[in-house]
Amino acid sequence: MSFFSRMFSNKGSKDDAKARLKLLLVHDQVDLTPAQMEAMKAEVIEVIGRYVEIDRDSIDFKLERSGGDVALVSNVPVRRVTARAV
Amino acid sequence: MSECIVITSGKGGVGKTTTSANLGVALALQGHRVAVVDADIGLRNLDVILGLENRIVYDLVHVIEGECRLKQALIRDKKVDTLYLLPAAQTRDKSAVSPEQMKDLINQMKEEFDYVLVDCPAGIEQGFRNSIAGADRALIVTTPEVSAIRDADRIIGLVEAAELPEPKLIINRFRQHMVDRGDMLDKDDILEILAIPLVGIIPDHEDVIISANRGKPVAFDEDSVVGEAYRRIARRINGEPDVPFIALESSGFWSNMKRWFGVSAAKGAV
Repeated sequence: MSFFSRMFSNKGSKDDAKARLKLLLVHDQVDLTPAQMEAMKAEVIEVIGRYVEIDRDSIDFKLERSGGDVALVSNVPVRRVTARAV
Repeated sequence: MSECIVITSGKGGVGKTTTSANLGVALALQGHRVAVVDADIGLRNLDVILGLENRIVYDLVHVIEGECRLKQALIRDKKVDTLYLLPAAQTRDKSAVSPEQMKDLINQMKEEFDYVLVDCPAGIEQGFRNSIAGADRALIVTTPEVSAIRDADRIIGLVEAAELPEPKLIINRFRQHMVDRGDMLDKDDILEILAIPLVGIIPDHEDVIISANRGKPVAFDEDSVVGEAYRRIARRINGEPDVPFIALESSGFWSNMKRWFGVSAAKGAV
């Protein structure tokens, strides 16, 4: 980082390190390839899409870790509920 | 009640050997009988850090193969007479020793010493398995870098899988001035990611290199902040409650600038 860009930016490289590490450690632990993650995401979305109309462009689907535990965290915006409650 | 503690990291070059030597010195200076074991067979270095390289006659593999007795292989430190080194073999490799043999050796050593510290080699293969075989607990050494923290995470998983108690963390080569300007992971960032208790922070300081040059660990140096950091970790290891962390002054360009302008320097603690 140049002297001037540092002068005008408060953000150090630490945030990059932390974000990269968090992602890295989850994938080290879970051992799913990016292709497998994509396949899982597509299948899950397919299932959800059978019941509700969803905004497929703004789906958040990722593995996260807090402490030693890994969670699959997903945010799927619903446009309209298409199925009726049984 | 004696204890075997393995010092490990996964990644090489983060300071396992320096940490082993200095904690050995610090615990011995506190009056404990301490043995440090170099488990890096084929690449020994703990002897050099302790300045004992000219005194080696027998090594760990000689003891395990029954070519000498344990007492013949142990080298007493020049400066503190309750500290002993069991050197690694230099002309053999890790396959010369099995985890079972290592465990027997450590149990034998625990009869003679209050603390047996095992300096683990880098990696997760046989050298690592040998090193943890006789250990009662583990200390994980990392530096505030992505690669070292990633490997530390892997090692923590392996230590837990081996059913040792929860390991504790030492953060080495910490640079407060880089943390202050947001270019180095802080203690809390690292603890959030690794999620194990912290036992100490070692500042990145040229004293460590100077002491390695001389073969006299920095823990002997009463005036060194790094030596003090190691001595405090030794007290925490020994179960002393509430050992305070030392305030760490920033020494970088920006903190000097801030000082000139009357802004107090940011402080961390070791």
